[in-house]
Amino acid sequence: MKTNENPYIPYNATVEDTWFETGGERAIKTFKVVLEDDEARQNWNHRPGQCAMIGVLGVGESMISISCSPTEGDFLRFSVMRMGKVTQALHQLEAGDKMTVRGPYGNSFPLEEWKGKQILTIGGGIGQAPMRPIVEYVKANYDQYGGLTMIYGARTSGDLCFKNEFEEMRKNEELSCHLTIDVEEEGWDLNVGFVPSMLMDLNPSPENTIAITCGPPIMIRFVLENLKKLGFEDDQIYTTLENRMKCGIGKCGRCNAGGMYVCKDGPVFDYATLKAIPEAFA
Amino acid sequence: MSAMLLNKEKWPDFVGKLTGKQLWAPQIKDEQLRFAPVAEGEEPALDYKNTRVPPKNVVFPQTETLFRFQVDGEEVDEPKLDEEVVLLGVRPCDARSMVIVDKLFSWDYDDPYYARRRELVTMVGLACSEPGLNCFCPSVGGGPASTEGLDLLMVDLGENYLLEAITEKGEALINETKELLEETRDANLEQKEKVINEAAQKIKRSIDPEGIPVGLPGLWEDSLWQRVSASCLGCGTCTFLCPTCHCFDIQDETEGFESRRCRTWDSCMFEEYTLHTSGHNPRPSRLERTRNRINHKYNYYVDKFDVIACVGCGRCINLCPVNIDIVEILKQVKEAL
Amino acid sequence: MDLEKLRETAAEVVAREDVKYLIGWKNGSYGYRVAPAFIEDAEGAAELIFSPLCISNLSTYLTLVEKLPLPRGQEPDTRKIALMVKGCDSRAVTQLLVEKGIERDGVVVIGCPCPGMIDYDLLAEKYPETEGLSEVKWTDDGFLVIRDGEETNVTRDELLAEKCRLCRYPNPLISDIMLGEPVETWEPAEDKGVEEVDKKDVNGRWAYWEEQFSNCIRCYSCRNVCPLCYCQDCILDRLNPTWVNRAVNFSENTAFNIARAFHLAGRCIECGECERVCPANIPLGRLNRKMAREVRDKYGFEPGLDPEAEPFQASYKPDDPEDFIL
Repeated sequence: MKTNENPYIPYNATVEDTWFETGGERAIKTFKVVLEDDEARQNWNHRPGQCAMIGVLGVGESMISISCSPTEGDFLRFSVMRMGKVTQALHQLEAGDKMTVRGPYGNSFPLEEWKGKQILTIGGGIGQAPMRPIVEYVKANYDQYGGLTMIYGARTSGDLCFKNEFEEMRKNEELSCHLTIDVEEEGWDLNVGFVPSMLMDLNPSPENTIAITCGPPIMIRFVLENLKKLGFEDDQIYTTLENRMKCGIGKCGRCNAGGMYVCKDGPVFDYATLKAIPEAFA
Repeated sequence: MSAMLLNKEKWPDFVGKLTGKQLWAPQIKDEQLRFAPVAEGEEPALDYKNTRVPPKNVVFPQTETLFRFQVDGEEVDEPKLDEEVVLLGVRPCDARSMVIVDKLFSWDYDDPYYARRRELVTMVGLACSEPGLNCFCPSVGGGPASTEGLDLLMVDLGENYLLEAITEKGEALINETKELLEETRDANLEQKEKVINEAAQKIKRSIDPEGIPVGLPGLWEDSLWQRVSASCLGCGTCTFLCPTCHCFDIQDETEGFESRRCRTWDSCMFEEYTLHTSGHNPRPSRLERTRNRINHKYNYYVDKFDVIACVGCGRCINLCPVNIDIVEILKQVKEAL
Repeated sequence: MDLEKLRETAAEVVAREDVKYLIGWKNGSYGYRVAPAFIEDAEGAAELIFSPLCISNLSTYLTLVEKLPLPRGQEPDTRKIALMVKGCDSRAVTQLLVEKGIERDGVVVIGCPCPGMIDYDLLAEKYPETEGLSEVKWTDDGFLVIRDGEETNVTRDELLAEKCRLCRYPNPLISDIMLGEPVETWEPAEDKGVEEVDKKDVNGRWAYWEEQFSNCIRCYSCRNVCPLCYCQDCILDRLNPTWVNRAVNFSENTAFNIARAFHLAGRCIECGECERVCPANIPLGRLNRKMAREVRDKYGFEPGLDPEAEPFQASYKPDDPEDFIL
């Protein structure tokens, strides 16, 4: 991994394409970006689960999950919910505009270790962003894994991210793709109900399986409970944490949960580790 | 490494010799003793216990420009840091704090600003002969004449200062000023031992940290945190005045067409510090923040870097507006273990 | 003041079902230190003190307490907070009532007539602090300092805090329970601090405050200790938009300090806490008293005297002076 010699200096990147995943006040917009510097682009090499500090000069930076797999190509994808000052500025960007990128930061999902296993991703809302690179990575290396099941839900169909990709995935016989929304809706003929209930309905076997979950805290809590009910061991369950961050490289001290710096020791944690961090679920 | 004597009468000449470098030393400004650049003709005050604000800003300025850029520009300019600094009269606790903070700033990624400033600074320490009321450095691995982090140690022997080089940088400083210095005699070294021992005897406060780092996680839900945080005002005095506190914020600031990204000291005692944009705050009250402050110093930092992130300088005790006293907190922790 | 009476009264108050806890003063951990005490039972009440060292204004805790979201089904605790106040502190309570920052029903005010407090810095400079607890008592004409068993009589003039020299309201102006008899008020001293700055011309004043504000380390202890700085969303913390940059320099420090001074005009009750807690020794009292003096002289308004008063900054009278409006 090579970053700039000065880790605080970001790379310049060009926005190649953008589109809205969801609408409303807290809309989610996806950015496909390419680092301008050839060497930086070649050396980027992120792993699924890692994050990057993206931003706009003069406004600031936010730590955002890299929502593409390195197997997809020489570009980066970020799905950003409009929340504060920086994400508002990012939402102004259109194709051809510039943003800054630093990273990749943090640990990653141990996809090497998981080879030969069944992969089960359980996402909710914007929490699908870190799940997506796993899905894409496993799809690209399908023969090395025991299978892939994806559960994904949101409040309404309009709140589902990456919708355009699901049609194709649902047709793909190698994958088991399950979508759900919280309440009935005209024109929705798939599952209705919360993600944790759908997990119970599907009743996946814990045998030789790794479950990864990310979503709103309340969803994660019930998913973890249900995974335990299904017989998953702590070291078969993974999730990601997020906290307020400034530097991304373990210096500024903002993101610690207990003794863990989310930006460096995380964002990926297995449940066994997580249970020992007192502030993990705060 | 050599040891030499400097007669106090030659002190102004000694200070005068340290030219070509920015000299920082304790000075009385606005009725307050602080580390500040010494202008020509000014003389540092060395008769002091310690400054209110630690000299950490010499290597970790309260506001540090990371880079500059034009509004709507794409190119960034890094500041050039090349001025050598002599930090004169730094107390052993404050020098030791930098050694502790070095570990964080070099953890995996080198922080280039901090690292560069550390390279550029020569640390000339002054051993304590009159420790302050709330000093407890021996409890956490320091001492009134600890040399950790120093390039040169000065010990006040009455008429003379004893100058002991600790590193090559210190040796170089002795060489630069050699014409003002005299050879030491055995009696001087004996005198030094006496001064240091007497100083150590004068340190009244103590805490035995044995068992605290491993025991703190078990006290997470203990009622002691409610007791010790009830009166906390949530201000940044304890953290800003702490020589080992190193957390910072990063903000982009624009004036006219000139912008910069800068970092500023931040405090885990502020509500805004952990506040998510969503409004959720993982540390919603002063209880969680106080618990985090103590845990960070006496547990998390020990786990990560094998050293307690507290040098026992007593500043947080001296200046807490509501008498939150870390030695008392640690005593309560020990009782609760 | 009779300490037995104080502790007895406090024990009675905290025993009441409608009282959550009592905030008073207790001995600190060493030397001359006094710490805020949050008392819930008779045992705690026995620790309470009232001495010339109880300079801190505890009314700040009325608004400092975090109102965290309650777990579903849990009712909020609406019991009263009992609070010990001196004359100046009581004005903060009144001003909070005026601003509807607190409700009258929510507090039990225990008034402590105050013969004047000691300036800690003056005391520690003349009679250095020791690791054991020291005691200071009022005498007929000053203070008795008891340090390591050694008693020293000191005149009032030698150690009296500046805010107490200027004090016009040593007796609590609002209380539910009054401890002891009112003290005799004294002739307030001239405000030499404000005058010293006032005497300077505009450039001199600017230079003076430039030097002072340059020392500010932005720890916000002045804001946090202030009983009347209790906005839930402080302009200084705001980032979107950013009103005051985080950079610590003269310009931003001045923006911060001036914003605070203006927000306190007609609200500051001159308890002096901001200046007492400032680790950078900035004479904030001078700034706030100057504003208070302007409001008093020009508008005839003094905050914290009448709980029925209109908030100064939120009220308008046709005959308000306006000659300074450009």
